[in-house]
Amino acid sequence: MAWITKNSGGAKIERRDEPYLTQAIKDTVTRTYLPRYETKMGALLPTLHLVQQAHNWLPHQALIEIAEFLGLKPADVIDTASFYEEYWLKPKGACLISVCRSIACEFCGSKAVTDACRRRLGIEPGETTDDGKFTLIELECLGSCGTAPAALFNHTLHENLTPEKVERLIEEAERSGSHGHH
Amino acid sequence: MPRPNFAPEKPILTQRIPCWPFADPATRRTIRLDEYQRTGGYDGLRKALSMAPDAVVGEVKDSGLRGRGGAGFPTGLKWTFLPKYDPAGPPRYLAINADESEPGTFKDRLIMDFDPHLLLEGIAIACYACRLSKAYIYIRGEYFHQAMVLEEAIKDAYAAGIFGSRGLLSGAATAGGGPWPLEVHLHRGAGAYICGEETALLESLEGKRGWPRIKPPFPALKGLFGKPTIINNVETLAHLPSIVTFGKEWFLAQGTKGSAGTKLFGISGHVNRPGLHECELGIPLRMLIESKDYCCGMRHGKKFKGAIAGGVSTGILGPDQIDAPMDFDIGKNYNVLGLGTACPTIFDEDTDMVAVARNIARFFKHESCGQCTPCREGSGWLYQLLSRIESGGGRTKDLDLTLEIATSMGAMPGTTICGLADGNNWAVRTIINKYRAEFEKRVRPTYVPVTMSVGAAANA
Repeated sequence: MAWITKNSGGAKIERRDEPYLTQAIKDTVTRTYLPRYETKMGALLPTLHLVQQAHNWLPHQALIEIAEFLGLKPADVIDTASFYEEYWLKPKGACLISVCRSIACEFCGSKAVTDACRRRLGIEPGETTDDGKFTLIELECLGSCGTAPAALFNHTLHENLTPEKVERLIEEAERSGSHGHH
Repeated sequence: MPRPNFAPEKPILTQRIPCWPFADPATRRTIRLDEYQRTGGYDGLRKALSMAPDAVVGEVKDSGLRGRGGAGFPTGLKWTFLPKYDPAGPPRYLAINADESEPGTFKDRLIMDFDPHLLLEGIAIACYACRLSKAYIYIRGEYFHQAMVLEEAIKDAYAAGIFGSRGLLSGAATAGGGPWPLEVHLHRGAGAYICGEETALLESLEGKRGWPRIKPPFPALKGLFGKPTIINNVETLAHLPSIVTFGKEWFLAQGTKGSAGTKLFGISGHVNRPGLHECELGIPLRMLIESKDYCCGMRHGKKFKGAIAGGVSTGILGPDQIDAPMDFDIGKNYNVLGLGTACPTIFDEDTDMVAVARNIARFFKHESCGQCTPCREGSGWLYQLLSRIESGGGRTKDLDLTLEIATSMGAMPGTTICGLADGNNWAVRTIINKYRAEFEKRVRPTYVPVTMSVGAAANA
């Protein structure tokens, strides 16, 4: 979480010529989000969501572009973006599998579900498969306790999971290549 | 007086959402605007607009409605903390707490999933009554589907003239002197439990990291962007249309003394039919678990061992507390923090309570925002200690240290800004105190080495 400090001194920032913050995103922010808030910073969370939706993660360069666009300091944007778990500051797989590990899910069998993902994908929670198709994480309560255990495949919730069911879902995601929306 | 099974005469919050014992949840679907209006929707708002704003506040205050988000603070009273309305004054805001992230809790999701306009009507009534001109629904990032449903519902409401710059209900005349324009926006969070704390929620709405603010000033005076702000939970607002329609006496007649009205109870864990039910407050936990109307008994016929009272922050009800009435007095009568979100998680006799404590400690370690040292460090210590005890490497003194930490951090001991650490404390403390033998069986005794000479050697 936010209080894990990283040694970023001397870190190299990858840059590309094509901006991550496209004109289309800028237009949406200007038209839809900026008028909603008293300050420009108010539009930061929606903007980060939009950029992540377009690129699947938030490269450092994108954060700097957002800062310039909203008239903020890059440090402020990084401060916010690094606080929230849903913002990915490193690349993730096309399909993000998030297995709930909170109270109801753990005691209704979420460990077996995570283990099935581990086995099937050959990765540990927090890792991405070599082909970049899947990232596996465990996270806290998804608000699906009455139908535990639960997991998200990108934004799609799957309930009452079993190891067999989750393996089937992974196979389907692999086959279709469409992994729901980011 | 509640009916024998504590079900309301007719479902209120769930009138359009099938729940046992009234209807099969398998038939649930999202109610769109036209159907909502056909079935009495927005009648409550219409009636509210015919009343003076202060009269609506008075009605809600006298109804005894208490916040459904966890703390149970009287809603009407909270509203009266706002400064006196001045048409030339600064804007005033409503922030709707839809950040439902308390483990075990899945009640607000039901309303947003299936009856989004019930929430929107509640928002309109609150804004009219309290003279608020803009409302932000702060919904947790993981509720992507619910955010889409709400976005659609807000769009429909604008298109139908219910919200907008002309005033509520297409600029209808009101008893408050002229139409009341209202803007409603959805704001998606991004995965942080702490943003359910009201001032952290405001920080997050402002685009900052979700760090709770020091109070005072309270949000009613200085809240979002430094302006007067009311923060209410989704379920609290969903109660408003029926309170305005049927009146305070009707609301007071349900539930028990000090705990008026119905409440959504979401039961999870080791029961035969987990799920959501709308019952009058005061329903005994045993009835929720055993009744055929609700959860149909413990799974596989096992024995009841314990239940998280209402979200992990509230602590645990022990094996002998299954008859606890679920109302706002549960905290002082049963040694838990309170009713919380009224979503109990049930454990059967095979559950390892040390693992339960470890799971909860891990949650709080993960979700501590890091602002206050006692919580940031203490939550990590608790998780390490409980993991060690669980794996068999703990000693008896670890238990004492665990309890010492779980007593000294938090807003109640006065060492942190918000109550996150208090939730951690209550969970860990009540589990250890109510299942102490299980913990003691896991730990090895702490030996204190003593060197002394006795007998002839002592005299040498």
